[in-house]
Formats: sequence, structure tokens, C-alpha cells
Amino acid sequence: MDPVSLAWLSAGIGAGLVAIGTGMGIGRLAASALEGSARQPEAGGDLRTTMIIAAALIEGVAFFGLVVCILLTLKTVA
Amino acid sequence: MTNRFFRAPLFGALLALVMVGTIAPAHAAGEDGEFDAIGHTMDGNYLDFSPFGKVELPRIFLVRKADGSIGLDVYGSTKQALLTGDYVMASSYADEAHAEDGYGDAEESAYGEAGYGDAPADEATATQEAISKGKHLYGGLTRAKGDVIVDFSITRHLLFAWLAILILCLLFIPMAGKYKQGIGRTEAPRGKKMNMLETLVLYIRDEVARPNLGEKTDKFLPYLLTIFFFILTCNLLGLIPFGATATANITTTAVLAIFTFIVTQFAGTKDYWMHVFNPPGIPWFVKPIMIPIEFLGLFIKPFALAIRLFANMTAGHLVILNLIGLIFAIRAILGDGAGWGTAVPSYFLTVFIYGLEVLVAFIQAYVFTILSALFIGMAAAEHEHHGHEPHAHEQTVGTEAVI
Repeated sequence: MDPVSLAWLSAGIGAGLVAIGTGMGIGRLAASALEGSARQPEAGGDLRTTMIIAAALIEGVAFFGLVVCILLTLKTVA
Repeated sequence: MTNRFFRAPLFGALLALVMVGTIAPAHAAGEDGEFDAIGHTMDGNYLDFSPFGKVELPRIFLVRKADGSIGLDVYGSTKQALLTGDYVMASSYADEAHAEDGYGDAEESAYGEAGYGDAPADEATATQEAISKGKHLYGGLTRAKGDVIVDFSITRHLLFAWLAILILCLLFIPMAGKYKQGIGRTEAPRGKKMNMLETLVLYIRDEVARPNLGEKTDKFLPYLLTIFFFILTCNLLGLIPFGATATANITTTAVLAIFTFIVTQFAGTKDYWMHVFNPPGIPWFVKPIMIPIEFLGLFIKPFALAIRLFANMTAGHLVILNLIGLIFAIRAILGDGAGWGTAVPSYFLTVFIYGLEVLVAFIQAYVFTILSALFIGMAAAEHEHHGHEPHAHEQTVGTEAVI
């Protein structure tokens, strides 16, 4: 198989997997945070801050994956 | 009702996306690659005012000349640098033009290898052609004789970073003067601008800095505020028409992250360094594993900061450009009618993503600031050691989990 097309394919599949993983991660995080602040509305502010930090960290990992995918596609262009 | 109203275009767009995904590769090869989504978000030596045209920015090079001396070359624009003949294009476009010319020659002249002698003339025509097509802005430049040591050229991201600095200075220096006079301290702040900015400043102080830094807040607050407002301004400048996002450049975000890294290391107490190089409260045989991890963690944290901001700012713009590009992709495949049909959902999705981008501009500035505050706070915290209790151990684990 043509290595260039394989690289494109892997970049696409990789980006999809990253999206699935991050979506699940942040989704679970948001669900728990919502549940927490529904049970204890007075803790809402704290929960939100912690949630945003945790979401940013999950996102950071996702971006590492995305950067690898982007590099794969850029390599094939150059 | 509203649900159904929203769902239909979304579903259509999704369907279109799937269709493009399956059909586009076959057609994309045949298309002329005029729509360059990646190039738009990347740095460049021009300001993009399309459709009104482009303004070229100055080029400055530190060069080693052919005779070995070091000098500075300054040109008003990329075009000038090329026209003086000191510089040639290093891009694939020039090579392409070259290859085409060579091919044409071979076809035209039945004599065969006539084209090799006049290479310089060939290059000049290729350069001329590239300039007339406006493609000279997309490739690198190399010096014809000697080589470039550092490219100091003023790029558009640099220009927009300067613009952000200028805006911040114009906003905050008069504000600081007012506070020195007592307006806002002894009486209520006056005017919309002052009230708005005070809200943001107080939010950063009370919600971001205080919880993480405690009593050392005042020492690090100026840094946190500067970084927050700079990132925010850069992000928002990228959202105005003809703007460019300076924070969508890995160099900008890396420099910001390096600032946080340096501030963190200088804020570090004895406890902080001990936790890195001799973590207390863990068995001796774990230490050979823990110490390298802790040490690497010092660098991974700012690295993640830089990548996060860069990727967030780039990704949003790419999504918008791709949604707009979808119209043309579909038009190329299914004809004009389908193109017009795609324009409607594509437009609404673009507006939606743009709204999201405004949100992301604030969130990312906030995230960068709060993580900086967190890292600095962890380094600057002076926790008491009650012997070697699990508490101290937990602190170490917490540090790792935060990367």
C-alpha cells in the first residue's frame, strides 16, 4: 500500500479515536460535576473551577494525540 | 419544535460531512489547491486583507555573506528581497514552476537538452511568475550567495502580539493612574471601561490567584494578570476580521509557558526542591523511579501549557475554515445547486463555532492563568511536615496527578 495514503488514513483514524476518548472523559467529568452541584448547590463554584482544570488536563492529553495526527498529515504534504 | 428545527440542518451537515469524507479524496487531487486552510492560521510575512489584497511586511535577515562577513539585510517586503536578486525562493512552488518550465522546454524543443545552460534566467522567470501569481509569500527564502543565520522578519503574528501589547498599555496605564489618584479605591470606579476591567481583575485575584497562592497572592498577581490579559487580547484579536491570532503560534505560547516555568522555579521553596529530588515519605526503592518522573514533570507542565493554548487557538480557526471550505468542496462534487444548499447550514454552523470561539478565547486565557497559578502555588507553598505522615506523601502524588 502507498505509505502516504496509509499516513493519511492513520491520521484520520487517530483523530477520531482522540475525539472519542476525550469526549468520554470530559463527558463523565461534566456528568459527575453536575451531579455534585445538583446535590450540593453551595459547592457549585468550587466544583466548576475544579472541573475546568480537570477538563483542561484531559484536553491537553487529547491535544498531544492531535498534534501527532497533524504531524502525520503535514509530513505527507511536505 | 425548536429541537426539530435545529436538528435538520445539523443532520444535513453531518450527512454532507460523511459524503465529503467518502468522495472528496478522489476529487481533491484534481482540484487546484487555492484554498489553503492551514496556511491561513499559520504565520506569514503579510497581512491578509483579502479580498482587498495583501500587505507585505518587512524582511530582516542576519546573514553570513559569501565572503564570510556577517551582515544585516533589510527589505521593505518579500517582493523587494526577491527582485534585488540576493534571495531566491526555496519553496516547492518555485521548484514546481521550474519543473513545469523544464518539461515544457523538452516538449517544445525537439533538440532535447538545450535547457541546462540558462538556469539563472529560468530561475528569474520562475520568480517573476510566482510574484505575479502572489505565491512568493508562501515559500521560504534562501540567500543566493552565503546563507541566512537568523530570520528576524516581522511576521503578522509578531505584529498582532505587538498590537495586543499596545492595546493593553493604552487600557491599563491610564487606569492605573486613576487608581493612584484614588478613584476606585476611596470611591466607586467610574465609567464602563473601568468597571468592566475591575470585574475581570477582581475575578482573577479572588477566584484564580487567592485559592492557589494564599498569602503570596500579591507577589505573583501582576504576572498572572499580565498573562491573562495578554492571552485574552491575542485570542480576541484573532476573531476580528482580517486579524491574526498570535497565540495560534507555538512560539508565542512556548515563550509564555517558559515565563511560567521560570517564575515557578524562582518561587520554589526548599520543600518544593526536596519533593523533586528527595521525595519524603516513600520507600527507598521507589525513589529511583519517582525522582526522574518528578524531574521530567517540571518540564512537561509548561510544555502542556504551550501545546494546549496553541492547539486550542489553531483548532477553532481550522474548524471554521473547513466548514466554509465544505461549501466549495460540495459544489465541486455535486454542482452549483448543492453548493448553494450547503451554504445555509454551513453558515449557521460557522456562526455557532465562532460563538464557541469567543467562549474558548476566554476559557483558554483563564485556563492558562489558573494552571500557572496552580504550578506557582504548588512550588511556593510552605507546608509543614509533621514527621513523615501520609499527608506529605499525598502532596507529592497530587503534584504528579496535575500534569
